[in-house]
Amino acid sequence: MSTRGGDPAWRDQATSRFGPADEPPSGPDDLLRRVARGDENAFSQLYEMLAPRVFGLARRVLRDPAQAEEVAQEALVEVWRTAARFDPAKGSATSWVLTITHRRAVDRVRSAQAGADRERRVLAASGETPYDDVVETVTSNLEQQQVRRCLKGLTDLQREAITLAYYDGFTYREVAEKLDTALPTIKTRMRDGLIRLRDCLGVEVGLPAANRAGR
Amino acid sequence: MSQPNEVHTLSGAYALDALTEIERAGFARHLAECSVCETEVAEFRETAARLGMAAWEIPPARLRERVMAEVAQTRQVSASSRPERSRSQDVALWRRRTVAAVAAGLIAVGGGTAAWVVQEQRVNRAATEASQLESVLQAGDVQVHSAAVSGGGRMTVAVSPSKGAVAIMSDLPTLPKGKVYQLWLITGSNPAEPSVIMASGQTGGTVRLTSLGTADHLAVSVEPDGGSQHPTVVMGTVPLA
Repeated sequence: MSTRGGDPAWRDQATSRFGPADEPPSGPDDLLRRVARGDENAFSQLYEMLAPRVFGLARRVLRDPAQAEEVAQEALVEVWRTAARFDPAKGSATSWVLTITHRRAVDRVRSAQAGADRERRVLAASGETPYDDVVETVTSNLEQQQVRRCLKGLTDLQREAITLAYYDGFTYREVAEKLDTALPTIKTRMRDGLIRLRDCLGVEVGLPAANRAGR
Repeated sequence: MSQPNEVHTLSGAYALDALTEIERAGFARHLAECSVCETEVAEFRETAARLGMAAWEIPPARLRERVMAEVAQTRQVSASSRPERSRSQDVALWRRRTVAAVAAGLIAVGGGTAAWVVQEQRVNRAATEASQLESVLQAGDVQVHSAAVSGGGRMTVAVSPSKGAVAIMSDLPTLPKGKVYQLWLITGSNPAEPSVIMASGQTGGTVRLTSLGTADHLAVSVEPDGGSQHPTVVMGTVPLA
């Protein structure tokens, strides 16, 4: 996570390339802060930046494009509505938006109306390796390659537990059943798998104090 | 945080949204009290979001129109939305926490004396209990009162004239062996009537209060194991109306 606001040279350089002078080009973090102040223009830019991620994630979890579209709409409106609650000390704007999206997608998957379809999904998913599926659908940018590489570094059980939960929206109980593994083991594998992924991806949360004071 | 390892290992499943609603509420409750977990969960969330970034797909153009149209009509919450939370949201939050307390394996007491510890394997049973509590909590006439307990923790009651009453004790101090918490119904200056005895070792839980009679306050006291006929050391009281 980087903070850009404090550097005037950067701003000058940037305004010549993007948009009106009062709108320096911004990453999702800056945009989201402006959205929190009711800036619809910033929201529009944020939409351009993140809508494919939001829709892509909803689609990945829900499979059905129509449902994914509805969930993406709900999630993006929630981003607008609750932007003021975004706290950069707890993570990036992109991850905040995807967290909202994932939660909504998972809620939808588990809702009663999706019940019948869910049964089918459980059956359909049983012969499948979710990881390969994911790899197939991604375009090969650096970020995605890194995720792929780090997923490879997990044990099979860690990887399956995490991908079944995250990409398919299964609860850890369902994951335990599907993988025929004891519940406490699945809990632990999800946690130590995430620790390994976190370290592999170099995830750090929280801004240095100097950066936080900048805004 | 009496069983940190037990609860704590759910941090991964929590960050992956792999808990049921009840378990989730239970973990969120733990999270509020555990700053170490908060950092870990924030890092896990960020990590999980990286997995999310591996999925990317251009949405149909109409999505943009719909979102922008809805946004134009949607009021934003303010940064300090917590203090401005409405009363109904407070009740809703409290409801969720109550369900959480049941699910988190604290205690559930029915009918005044029988107590059982809800184990993880019994979450379904907890859910049944939770749905009974829900009927009180969702009643249109429910009133909620809360008070601090001396030494730490809180006691909260929800009273619905139509559906009954529940009390939730949260984060009370751990008692020495041989001591338990006991609840009392108090009417004016009359002697306190003994009510629910909490199980030995329990420092929190959700309790259904079956007959309030004319009582106007609920009190919690520390008693010898097995309970007493009169309160020994009262730790806190909360009004019932």
